[in-house]
Amino acid sequence: MLVEHARNLAGIQDATHAEYRAGGTEVISLLGCSLQGQTITVALAPGSRLARLYGALQAVERTTCSYGLALEMQHIASEHGMRPVAIDDTGEVRAVERTDHPFFLATLYQPQLRSEPRRPHPIFVGLLRAVTRRD
Amino acid sequence: MARTGSSAAQAGFAPVDGGRMQAPVITVLIDLPPDQDYHVATLAALDHAAHSLSMPLEVRVVPTDTIESHLIADPGAAVVVGPGSPYRNRERALDIIRSAREKGIPLVGT
Repeated sequence: MLVEHARNLAGIQDATHAEYRAGGTEVISLLGCSLQGQTITVALAPGSRLARLYGALQAVERTTCSYGLALEMQHIASEHGMRPVAIDDTGEVRAVERTDHPFFLATLYQPQLRSEPRRPHPIFVGLLRAVTRRD
Repeated sequence: MARTGSSAAQAGFAPVDGGRMQAPVITVLIDLPPDQDYHVATLAALDHAAHSLSMPLEVRVVPTDTIESHLIADPGAAVVVGPGSPYRNRERALDIIRSAREKGIPLVGT
């Protein structure tokens, strides 16, 4: 989603993800310290859709990501309708959402790994609520 | 929660219960095998959320190398971009993301 954002809205036409090793401007790069298989704590932006979904300003989530927003590209998370909404304890962006869209959210963690039948994850509940609002 | 291949459902909704109700079709882009833990967890999370809302749901699992033009034009009622990059066809996945963004279709990428 950040690559699409970079290419089509931020004007970085050769934006790419380091994992593809295909050349271009790396928007998503290999993390210096892989977060794969870790639990992270993120601070949620007050007033964001994400914070409203959680009903909190902090969340603990599992991640399988070895890649994150490149340090020199952190600014694009705050441009062209995108907003950083979760920051980890190293200061890196872990989730973004669009402010000009009914529900457009990307996480650099995996909320589905924490979902349980009696405790559905608020992001997935929020997604389906957004669907019903469009009916 | 029904699960279908990529040819099911048009215009974001599919008939259920003999056609009396329309279940929203959620497109899940994921290349991981169906028995892989993150694939299973992604579908389960949708299932958990749908049950909590008593909401009928049809989930359409679409590997990125099977994305057809009609899916880009009509990605469904919502899109989940699952874990497991690199995707087999990143350009087509980006086309779906762009379409959802431009059409105001709910999307979450994990």
